[in-house]
Amino acid sequence: MAGLQVGVQKKGIVRGRQWPFHLALSASVLVIAFPLLYATLIATQTNAEIFSFKFTPGSALASNFDDVWVKREFSRAMWNSLQQSLWVTVGKTVLSLLAGLAFVYFKFRAKWLVFFFVLVTLMMPTEVMILAMFRLVSGFGWQDTMASITLPFIASATGAFLFRQHFANMPVELLEASQIDGATPFTFLTRVLIPLSWNIIGALFVIQFVYTWNMFLWPSLIIRDDSAQVVQVAMQTLLNFGGALTFGPLMLAAIIASIPPALVFVLMQKPFMSGFVTAQDK
Amino acid sequence: MRSRLRLFSLFAALGLVVAACGGGATEGTEAPADAPADAGAADGADGEVTTIGFWVAFSDEARLGFTKERAAEFNAKYPEYNIEVTSFASYNDVFDAAVLAVDSGEPPGIIHFFEAATRQALDAVGADGQPIFKSVTEAIGGRTEILGEPVILDDVVDAAKNYYTVNGSFYSMPWNTSSAIMFSNTDMLEAAGVMEIPETWAEVEAACEKVMAMPGAPAACITWPNHSWFVEQSLGQQGELLANNDNGRSGRATEVYLTSEGMIDYVSWWKDMADKGYYTYTGVQRDWDGTANAFLAQEVAMLIYSSSDTTFLTNSGKEAGFDVKASFMPYNGEREYVGNLIGGATLWLLNGMDKKAEDGALAFMNFFSNPENAAEWHRITGYIPITKSAEALLEQEGWYDESPNSRVASEQLAAAKNTPASLGALLGNFVAIRDIITIAIEDILVNDLDVAERMAQANEEANKSLAEYEALFGG
Amino acid sequence: MLIAALVTAALFGVVFLTREPRYRTPRRLGIGTTVSVAAAAAVPGTMGPCGFADESTPVDHVLFFALMLTSSWIALIVTRAIFDRSDGASPDTSAMTGEIRSGGFRTKPWVPWLLLSPTLVILIVFLYTPAVQTFTLGTKLARLGAPNSIDVCLSNFSELLIVDPVRLVAYPLVAVAAVYATSWWRRATSKETWSHRLAEVASTLSVLGIFVALWAIFSPGGDGQVAYRPVYVTTLIITIGTVATGMIGGLAIAYLAFRNIRGGGVYRTLLIWPYAISPTVAGILFFMIFDPTAGIFQYLAEVWFGVDVPNYRESAILAQAAIILASGWKILGYNILFYLAGLQTVPTSQVEAAVIDGASAWQRFTKIVLPSLSPITFFLLVTNLTYAFFEIYATIDFMTKGAPAGKTSVAIYEIIRVGVNNGDLGRGAAQSVLLFVAVIGVTLWQFRTSGERVTYGGAT
Repeated sequence: MAGLQVGVQKKGIVRGRQWPFHLALSASVLVIAFPLLYATLIATQTNAEIFSFKFTPGSALASNFDDVWVKREFSRAMWNSLQQSLWVTVGKTVLSLLAGLAFVYFKFRAKWLVFFFVLVTLMMPTEVMILAMFRLVSGFGWQDTMASITLPFIASATGAFLFRQHFANMPVELLEASQIDGATPFTFLTRVLIPLSWNIIGALFVIQFVYTWNMFLWPSLIIRDDSAQVVQVAMQTLLNFGGALTFGPLMLAAIIASIPPALVFVLMQKPFMSGFVTAQDK
Repeated sequence: MRSRLRLFSLFAALGLVVAACGGGATEGTEAPADAPADAGAADGADGEVTTIGFWVAFSDEARLGFTKERAAEFNAKYPEYNIEVTSFASYNDVFDAAVLAVDSGEPPGIIHFFEAATRQALDAVGADGQPIFKSVTEAIGGRTEILGEPVILDDVVDAAKNYYTVNGSFYSMPWNTSSAIMFSNTDMLEAAGVMEIPETWAEVEAACEKVMAMPGAPAACITWPNHSWFVEQSLGQQGELLANNDNGRSGRATEVYLTSEGMIDYVSWWKDMADKGYYTYTGVQRDWDGTANAFLAQEVAMLIYSSSDTTFLTNSGKEAGFDVKASFMPYNGEREYVGNLIGGATLWLLNGMDKKAEDGALAFMNFFSNPENAAEWHRITGYIPITKSAEALLEQEGWYDESPNSRVASEQLAAAKNTPASLGALLGNFVAIRDIITIAIEDILVNDLDVAERMAQANEEANKSLAEYEALFGG
Repeated sequence: MLIAALVTAALFGVVFLTREPRYRTPRRLGIGTTVSVAAAAAVPGTMGPCGFADESTPVDHVLFFALMLTSSWIALIVTRAIFDRSDGASPDTSAMTGEIRSGGFRTKPWVPWLLLSPTLVILIVFLYTPAVQTFTLGTKLARLGAPNSIDVCLSNFSELLIVDPVRLVAYPLVAVAAVYATSWWRRATSKETWSHRLAEVASTLSVLGIFVALWAIFSPGGDGQVAYRPVYVTTLIITIGTVATGMIGGLAIAYLAFRNIRGGGVYRTLLIWPYAISPTVAGILFFMIFDPTAGIFQYLAEVWFGVDVPNYRESAILAQAAIILASGWKILGYNILFYLAGLQTVPTSQVEAAVIDGASAWQRFTKIVLPSLSPITFFLLVTNLTYAFFEIYATIDFMTKGAPAGKTSVAIYEIIRVGVNNGDLGRGAAQSVLLFVAVIGVTLWQFRTSGERVTYGGAT
């Protein structure tokens, strides 16, 4: 994977000897990676091996995996989380595109009011209203459903404003040319705007996927049934296998649970970064 | 350009996944919500399978596995029924989920509630004003068998029967019932020159003095979870009430007593043990896992714990190379011993099911704790055998000779005098009040506060919480 | 008392509007005063004048009064905005909404509404409705599973505060006055004078004064009040600790990694991946490292240094440090990522000029790099604050569960403990409102300082 990732200008800020930087950077990398490396070691060990502080790979990786993936059906939680993350991500992208389109390419009464209405939600994180939301959503009878962990999150002021800003910076001629070709708003969106917005969509995708995948508090309240549980909460039941704390399976689960968001992040780093730069350009 | 291509192909792939899981999503997510609804809605027509939801607060292999196996056996034996087990991470989770399910009209037929929720379960009413649960005694209506399954209610051991009998009616079906007992690492005690397992507070202290003085002494001598249940156990031992109206058994409890002599003595002893470095606090409230770990890692010599893990702790000790011996929970030697109480949970029957579903649920409950099943449940966990026949069966099999530790909890409960104090309290907002007690004790242990003062503050908070509960539910 | 409050609202309306000459017409003052009084009256109108009832406490009176004035204030801001619009004095909203100057689709008028409707419906149902319900729930004694609830007016709120109404009013007023006074002083003095420097120090201190005033008005417990002051202190410590650790660490490492050296790209990738790690996993990883029985931290401390580290969950300082370390570590990748991007905007020519001028590395960093990073620093400050307010819940839940004795129970953790675990919805909601106010404060400060800015990776 060398060579890609965060682009840096050719000119560094400081010249001089390189080895102190190599040393310092290697140290930083190690410090940052340490918790995960340590968890990887623990994931292979039995409790007895952990208690005796052996720093060589243990004997229990296969049985830990069996405990986590098969016995506790962690695979099901992963599947639930994947569904949730994709629904939210795709839903949010679509709704944000539509809202951006409406804001930039239409004139209508009370637009500024609607705009403020959306803007104000930036200061309304779900967490501060979580009890009322819990009451509301469970009042719908939605506990333990996929709807309860997706629908409330598919509208986003951040996303709408991101597209609004991106569209607003596009040349007006795009619209004029399409209108001459007789484009409807829908075909304009799909044929012109979306192809020119992949970087933003990609950036939004990474952010939203990681955000949704890592969601903990809300699912822990609204999802009680183990079979509908998402990954982050399901890990809690892995603390205990047969009586006392078991560390190996828990660490293994933590690693497994981190793979999908890490994968999305690494694979989409380039559009993410360029989307980010576009957003910051303003 | 390449990045755009890659991005696009990723999206295409994602699109496929979304399309593929579209159908699965609705099926997968609606099933749990729909299934319990069947419990109430089943029409009972012949030949049709009646599904009865069974919500369980266990998620580990042993307990959940046992439950699922029994449900499968029952379903095989009675093809017209389908007991559907849904698992939850904790008692609180089941309780909250059930409360919500009742509000939205889709509760399961059988719900697993812990002892502290008894008052709340009794008080629970649905939107129509009807009680949510039905007394199992009333539902059984004097029958001695249901669908051919013998009714075990009369056979239930006294401690459990007395706890769950409210206003003369056995309300819920006992299942997992335990008591607080002590586990000792006898190898370590003997190395320290403690030959007899200590029985009273003073003896525990004396033993700890020896343990901590020996060469290669462990980090501490004893631990137990900071859980209000142990406090309640101690009050029972000392014959002290937790709440008025005979612990809420001769009338609704309207006042709690967190400043009684027994309470102050117990918490003071606890703090004293901690101050001397004998007791180690794991720093986490209700820390079952952490305390058990400390014992198994031989960081302490003694552990006061629930009997529910007798089998696990005994075997794990053996694997780690030391002998584990169970004994009664240490008591206050300066007061007459009255009795320990039970802990655990029971199965509650949903009100308003049709006859076929209700009988199915009742038959399952009785099947679930029939002598063979109850004995097996005891063997794999350490919860007491819930019926006298199960006890007899185990005796006959020679189980107790093989594992004497397993007998301790039953013996301790049998030794209790049947008084309101040793039965334990029925209390509204009990979960919140337990939390208040736990927090106060943590405060005392960690911040070195005055016991009487801090408990007085807790008493005030607890009474306020109870008063609020009574304002909402009492009338 | 009610009448006194309404009269105050009327006066407030007049004072609010007379500050600017263009509102100083009789008609506008009349409208403004009416609106102000009506908005204030709406509070007792909807919930009854319960805050002034005989059985309510002096603190209830104060809160009720404050609530009425807040209602007036919001109504006045809206009124003023409407006046501005009719004057044409408001900023061009079409520029703000990003509307294109010319053209646009000429379709049926409902088409844009159709496009916006899914977003608006979701926002109304899942953000505005629960937001309003959070306030109403805060005025009730309501329990999870209880079919009915009891109105308790503002007692859930007043329980969180000190019982002395005089101090309750005085502390915040003094703090706000100090902020205004020092900022006036700063503006009144000219730059590069001692007086100006002193004023700058004083105005920074006066902002801290607000935190002190808040500390002073939250109840320390006792007297039947809820001990909210410890929660406030805990939240402050853990929030500041996390944000400082994450941002200083992030900047330092990003600055280090922003070099044109061999393998730089590899280093950068290996540094930013914790962005994808969840707060839950961060909690789990550090839970393992610090575990008193099985963790490597205690083991190595003993083997290498012979230090017998106590169980971190038993010591307030260690527990807080552990939480800060875990959550700071988790946000590090995110901060490095954005600082790396931000460092690209540092003007290289200036840096090179400084090198020629013989500026030391530290001077170059503080005089050139840091100032040009300030927009991104500010952006990160806000996102890090949000993270430390909310996302940290999962980390705490795994590592300490608020132990010892609530010393790691931050505001959001406390809300769930009270509202869900204890089932006390009303009190939980009242605490939520406090957090809500804090978030609104941070957001308004953000808007004010930076104008409208795209936030990235936020929750909504």
